[in-house]
Amino acid sequence: MSEAMQKPVEPGKIETFKYDNSIVRAFAIATVIWGVVGMSAGLLCAIQLFYPGANFDLQFVTFGRIRPVHTNAVIFAFVGNGMFMGIYYSLQRLCKARMFSDKISWFHFWGWNAIIVAAAITLPLGFTTSKEYAELEWPIKIAIAVVWVAFTVNLLGTIVKRREKHIYVAIWFYIATALTVAVLHIVNGLEVPVTMWKGYSVYAGVQDALVQWWYGHNAVAFFLTTPYLGLMYYFLPKAANRPVFSYRLSIIHFWALIFLYIWAGPHHLLYTALPDWAQSLGMVFSIMLIAPSWGGMLNGLLTLRGAWDKVRQDPMLKFMVVAVTAYGMATIEGPTLAIKSVNSLSHYTDWTIAHVHTGALGWNGFLTFSMLYYLFPRLYNTKLWSTKLANYHFWIAVLGMMFYIVPMYWAGITEGLMWKQFNKDGFLQYPNFLEIVVQIIPMYRLRAIGGTLYITGTFLMAFNLWRTARNGKFAPDTEVQAASFRTQSVVETKHPWGHRLLEGKPMLLASLALVAVLIGGMIEIIPMFVIKENVPTISSVKPYTPLELLGRDIYIREGCLACHSQMIRPFRSETERYGEYSKAGEFVYDHPFLWGSKRIGPDLHRVGGKYPDAWHYNHLDDPRSTSPGSIMPRYSWLLTQTLDTTSLPARISALRRVGVPYPAGYENKAFADLKTQQAKIVTDLQVGQIKADPDKEIIAVIAYLQRLGTDIKAAPAAPVAAPAPAPVKTALLNVKTENQN
Amino acid sequence: MGGIEGFGIISICMFVGVFTGALIWACFQKKPFMNSMGTMPLRDGEPVADEKGQSHHE
Repeated sequence: MSEAMQKPVEPGKIETFKYDNSIVRAFAIATVIWGVVGMSAGLLCAIQLFYPGANFDLQFVTFGRIRPVHTNAVIFAFVGNGMFMGIYYSLQRLCKARMFSDKISWFHFWGWNAIIVAAAITLPLGFTTSKEYAELEWPIKIAIAVVWVAFTVNLLGTIVKRREKHIYVAIWFYIATALTVAVLHIVNGLEVPVTMWKGYSVYAGVQDALVQWWYGHNAVAFFLTTPYLGLMYYFLPKAANRPVFSYRLSIIHFWALIFLYIWAGPHHLLYTALPDWAQSLGMVFSIMLIAPSWGGMLNGLLTLRGAWDKVRQDPMLKFMVVAVTAYGMATIEGPTLAIKSVNSLSHYTDWTIAHVHTGALGWNGFLTFSMLYYLFPRLYNTKLWSTKLANYHFWIAVLGMMFYIVPMYWAGITEGLMWKQFNKDGFLQYPNFLEIVVQIIPMYRLRAIGGTLYITGTFLMAFNLWRTARNGKFAPDTEVQAASFRTQSVVETKHPWGHRLLEGKPMLLASLALVAVLIGGMIEIIPMFVIKENVPTISSVKPYTPLELLGRDIYIREGCLACHSQMIRPFRSETERYGEYSKAGEFVYDHPFLWGSKRIGPDLHRVGGKYPDAWHYNHLDDPRSTSPGSIMPRYSWLLTQTLDTTSLPARISALRRVGVPYPAGYENKAFADLKTQQAKIVTDLQVGQIKADPDKEIIAVIAYLQRLGTDIKAAPAAPVAAPAPAPVKTALLNVKTENQN
Repeated sequence: MGGIEGFGIISICMFVGVFTGALIWACFQKKPFMNSMGTMPLRDGEPVADEKGQSHHE
């Protein structure tokens, strides 16, 4: 219930109002539930990597479809609800005001969790954009934007109506989060809809890659880091009963962090077809980011000066200390991985996974657990049911983290080095990708043990919190009294717009923060679109045929991107294994790009023409029939499911709108071309004694796979006739000799 | 491509400007104010950990 309207009061006069605890409890319960769901999905993924049959041959739970369920659930459901739980609790108390609107609070809660349910349903069904951490299709993306705007209004409205004059540093982090996530989500999410559950990214190839990883890394920055830093600045002093070590340091590291983080996105694209200048900016700014990140870490740990004895006794503080330490580890490792020479080893390996989970399990997971252990006793006006159980949770979770991260380091460095190993004759030591995969399977088993331990700890916590709640009495509101710095009552009108909205510092702060985060994005992204030389065109590159396009969309649906990259780096070890390195101009019609970020299986960019059609048919039906020891799941349903061509005209029209040069009216000819290509593949399959139905999905997938990487082997397009001879564009094969590995 | 190096230089200058400004502003803030801000979570009216930290079930 919003505060009742009051008569004007004198400044400094005490006012009585209530904090809303119901909304905090709702987000807290959702956090625990989604934590279990998200971690379970992760455990399923982990098991499938050494036991592919764990998908029970069901298309809905293959690794490619479940991995995004895991990432979305742990990031947006678990951390998201955890973030809102902490923000709604701390913001009211730091502002000494109830939330701006109870209605918006509950719209936010139900809207956010409905979105997560929609994600949990649509992702296993294959409705995905394939863009990492932005997989949800356009209707859900619109819903996310609406709910996020509601949250931002609630946040800023509460700040505007605050009784506490000064805006604590935690609130700056919340403001930066709200504004930046909105910008990132909207810009990266731009799609042209095709059907209700399918759209194409407005960006293509290199540009899509840059926008995606500008978004992706800043989802880490402004969803996983800044709000949690804000929460750390509230909950750590509260738990330790100590003031923040250095408020000056918090001011400086806040501005440095939000400015620098935005630039770091290209460190996901080092040694790819992204222009060198963008890669260099990403690398340099990532390294500079160590300073503000460690500023935050040190501020947190040094706040505990004189309170380390409390850490021994209080499980909440134990979790907090490990969280902040893990944050420090992840933020020194991240910049290290962003150095090009280190990245040349680590990219596509499990080292990246180890790094991610140091932050996710350590920083986000442990800080969320810490907040839950802090909040439940207070919300229920009781003590924690069992400190001993909380301590068991702590040690089991730490052990789980170690079993997760250390095997992944081992696996990452092993595979990185083995990929690059040459024998004394100058050939690849391990030419078969599978020779390397079998070496790291034991590490995948250990990682699953780690995940099992971590989720076991989470169950212990859930039980402990449930018993705490049962023993206590929930107080939906906390009545408090506080003096306002204002000359008028906090709620002088129902909607404090106008002069109140423009009042001084919160809006100025929000504006400056927005400017700080926009600069990096604009400087990195705008030249990529404006300066044509960033993406040298290759005249032989043509749009996908109708059949290849449908095959590509099936590739996206099945989540093949989760295991297979399509970006060959300019290293001899890669060109020997996969073929010519990938050029920017080859991806100009790729909506969205499919470069991938992990090689559980080999790179596929030059797989076109490498194997006969029959090999692909058999491989997709049962990977182990062609590749003994493979951990790839079976895709037998592709052989039986009929290809859906009803939306083909809409797909072609949509792609034309975003710049793919399908001729006008091509929709009318597309079906004929599709049939012709299907018939050809069916004929080719007969060579392998396979009698296939041309209308099945497998034919489209084979068409797409056989197209990959073949454009640069094709003859250049004939020059356009003109009154004066026009120079023929040739591919800018910008062959730089990178360091041989 | 021409002129692209200018973007990096401009951005570094902007960052140095903002960062220096924040540094100067932070350094010139009065110590009592900084100390007061640093203790703000402890003055929000909610009990601190000592008062409700102990479990009743072992």
